[in-house]
Amino acid sequence: MIEPNIGADTRIDAAERLDAPLLEVRSITRRFGGLVAVNDVSFEVQAMEIFGLIGPNGAGKTTLFNVVTGLIPASSGHLVYCGEDITRRSPHRIAAKGIARTFQNIRLFGNLSALQNVMIAQHVHTRAGVFAGVLGIPFARREERATRDKAMELLDLVGLSGRADQGARNFAYGDQRRVEIARALALQPTLLLLDEPAAGMNHSEREELGALIKEVCERFSLTVILIEHHVPLVMGLCNRIAVLNFGKLIALGAPEDVRNDPAVIEAYLGAE
Amino acid sequence: MNFATFIQQLLNGLSIGSVYAIFALGYTLVFSILGIINFSHAAVFTLGAYFTFTLMGGTFGFNGVLANASVPVQLPFAVALIFGSVLAGLMAVLIERLAFRPLRVRGADPLLTLVSSLGVAILITNLIQYLVGAEIYTFPASTYGDLPPAIDFGKLLGLGQIVPVRTVQIVIFVVSVVILIILTLIINRTRFGKALRAVAEDTTTASLLGINTDLFILLTFFLSGFLGGVAGTLVGSSVSIAGPYFGISFGLKGLAVIVLGGLGDIPGAVVGGLVIGLAEAFVPPEYSGYKDAVAFGILFVVLLIRPRGLLGRTIIQKV
Amino acid sequence: MSDFFSTYGFLLVSMMLAAMLALSLYLPLMSGQLSLASPGFYALGGYIAAVLSTKVFTATGDLYPVPLLLLEMLIAGVASGALAIVVGVPALRLRGIYLALATIAFVEVLQVLALNLDVTGGAVGIFGVPQPFRTQIEYAWIAAPMLILAMFFVYRLERIRVGRAFIAIKEDELAADAMGVNPTVNKVLSFTMGAVLAGMVGAIGAHFLNTWNARQGTFDASIAYLAFVLIGGSRTFLGPVLGGMALTALPEILRALSGNGSLPLWLTEFMKDGRFILYGLLLVLGCVFLPQGFVTPAFFSRWSKKAHAAKLKRAA
Repeated sequence: MIEPNIGADTRIDAAERLDAPLLEVRSITRRFGGLVAVNDVSFEVQAMEIFGLIGPNGAGKTTLFNVVTGLIPASSGHLVYCGEDITRRSPHRIAAKGIARTFQNIRLFGNLSALQNVMIAQHVHTRAGVFAGVLGIPFARREERATRDKAMELLDLVGLSGRADQGARNFAYGDQRRVEIARALALQPTLLLLDEPAAGMNHSEREELGALIKEVCERFSLTVILIEHHVPLVMGLCNRIAVLNFGKLIALGAPEDVRNDPAVIEAYLGAE
Repeated sequence: MNFATFIQQLLNGLSIGSVYAIFALGYTLVFSILGIINFSHAAVFTLGAYFTFTLMGGTFGFNGVLANASVPVQLPFAVALIFGSVLAGLMAVLIERLAFRPLRVRGADPLLTLVSSLGVAILITNLIQYLVGAEIYTFPASTYGDLPPAIDFGKLLGLGQIVPVRTVQIVIFVVSVVILIILTLIINRTRFGKALRAVAEDTTTASLLGINTDLFILLTFFLSGFLGGVAGTLVGSSVSIAGPYFGISFGLKGLAVIVLGGLGDIPGAVVGGLVIGLAEAFVPPEYSGYKDAVAFGILFVVLLIRPRGLLGRTIIQKV
Repeated sequence: MSDFFSTYGFLLVSMMLAAMLALSLYLPLMSGQLSLASPGFYALGGYIAAVLSTKVFTATGDLYPVPLLLLEMLIAGVASGALAIVVGVPALRLRGIYLALATIAFVEVLQVLALNLDVTGGAVGIFGVPQPFRTQIEYAWIAAPMLILAMFFVYRLERIRVGRAFIAIKEDELAADAMGVNPTVNKVLSFTMGAVLAGMVGAIGAHFLNTWNARQGTFDASIAYLAFVLIGGSRTFLGPVLGGMALTALPEILRALSGNGSLPLWLTEFMKDGRFILYGLLLVLGCVFLPQGFVTPAFFSRWSKKAHAAKLKRAA
């Protein structure tokens, strides 16, 4: 209930375990009353890969993300992250372990500045408590400055450092997405879940996004799971792709294999 | 405890429980339509009692601005009850227009509406106090006409002892049951009721289907105010009007009733009312000072264990 | 000058206490919790001080020693904090209206307890709470520094890590959770902070008012504090402070204006009892017309051109 603040040292360094999968989704099912949103889905994500998750609308992709990040509990099944069962963990514990995400419907802290949004995500990696902070003792002030600097760096990475103090809700849609990515990165994750980051973007913006994803993967040794509707982006970016339809996993493999899989074709065409 | 005492307390509980139930019906009607807790219902409840008192020719005491004033009419109780409750209903409509509609139109947080309703309740209650003072007003003895003041249930049930039950309490219970039946029939059997349920389910769709949602909201507030006025009058006439704040304490307990029964659930309001009424009635005499805490204790526990109450449905939150 | 203080001493100190009680509502509000529980902790703090000073620390001498008052405040603060944690951990899993209702229930239960227990003096309450000062304005020696400290505390809180966590939870609890902020711990923390403040104010209040009873921790009081925060402004810490002070002073100012004797009966009566009519009315008007209260961050930077342009952009 009352949990200690989890610092950077408990974050598991995935690079040390390249042989074992980073994330194992084992027979995850999620029901809402009579509706089975995620139906017995199993797959593994290897460290450092960019893993795509596609499927028609309502296929259960975001629900699966919500289960993985602990926002909603699985009805059955297990999640294993770096060899540890995280199935019933609360979202902030999972975040502390190194899983960060962006949201399909962008959930920035609208009334805060972009900078503050990114600073908040460093909560688990900082320690200054109430009295240390209020009194402004040197350690707290140093930590505060470091948090701010780190946040500026990340905003710089996504090209928004010039507007760091602007209210997050005042950013254009595409820029809000980038702030959200910067915020997720501030969590110092090992696994990054991106939920339709390219939604509403035009061609050049998508290209920039793709380049950004590749860059952060390399720079921070990240593993990425990407939900995306824009097929060329997914095909170009991902090492492997999983396809969901009506909550079930219907295909899993390299992009070309998935593209030509008859079940996948039928799911998309049939959905129209 | 012996059987006679048990019966006595049971009947007391049912009686007070049925008042809680009528009060809660008004509360829960508004919640079912608009998803808001309308705390001003407590003030409307109080107004109903005062209106009826006035219409029966009651004189105000010597405090307050309207000291010693009275209205030059002297209606019999049943008529005054109806008129007083209609006035209460109209007040509820006025409150809706002024304090809730502007918030609804902007899609404001239900919490803000709750705060606004708190403001209205305090405003009206203190306005009453300012106008007519805080004394206790008793309804004239002729209120219930020729009915005997009490009925001996002991004799009725063939028990050895005397179990007196005030006629007023029986009247209250009967009126409550009648109202409940009428209300249930209206909601489940009439076109009006069907439209009401549609608006409660989904306001937007209902309006797309041609239902004048604004009108229905007004009607619901009127109905809820009317019910509040009836409840207030019944309590006022049975015990007395213990000052303008007596509505607020009902209002607070009413919160416990509707949460226990399930917010927005109409049968739930009745169940909740009876349960809390009975729970209060069965508090042992040594602890009678704690009677008032029963409702709130129940409220707190229900919120912690099962916020949707006994009959309510779970609210699913979308992530 | 001393005339002014003797006439208005009571009012000035009341204003400071009201400002702190408004802040005690503001603290849980920082993490998005509308808590109506402050009156309960205020009452608790007052009872602790009243009981300790009349039955335990029977002090000799003319004036009650100030250090004992400070000790009472400390004990009141700790007790309120402990109760807040016990009540808060289960209750703060509730959101929105449900939480508000739970806090209402909490205050009502406490009030019934206060009316029935022997130690609290039942319905009569506790009389003759000893005075550490000769005049009422001297209470400002305690109230003013405490208010300044409270203001400083909240001011700093908004700018540091923990305060950011509160605000994130207020903005979007789920997203905050997903970003590593533990909602339960932080919500309980902000709730407890408010409780401690209210409890300490209660301790001062018991001495200041000389008596203490169940009428000190009522539902009405929570309405008043709500009005302070809503009207004063709920976005920055100065709002509740100014709201608390202004709304406490307003009825008195109106009363002073009408005290010249030439006003009709109904108006003078209104000034006497109208405090809550005013609060209720302001609450409704505030909700309908300005839900962010008067003192919003924009209020301060009104004069700056940059802020004006930003305001225009925000409205677009």
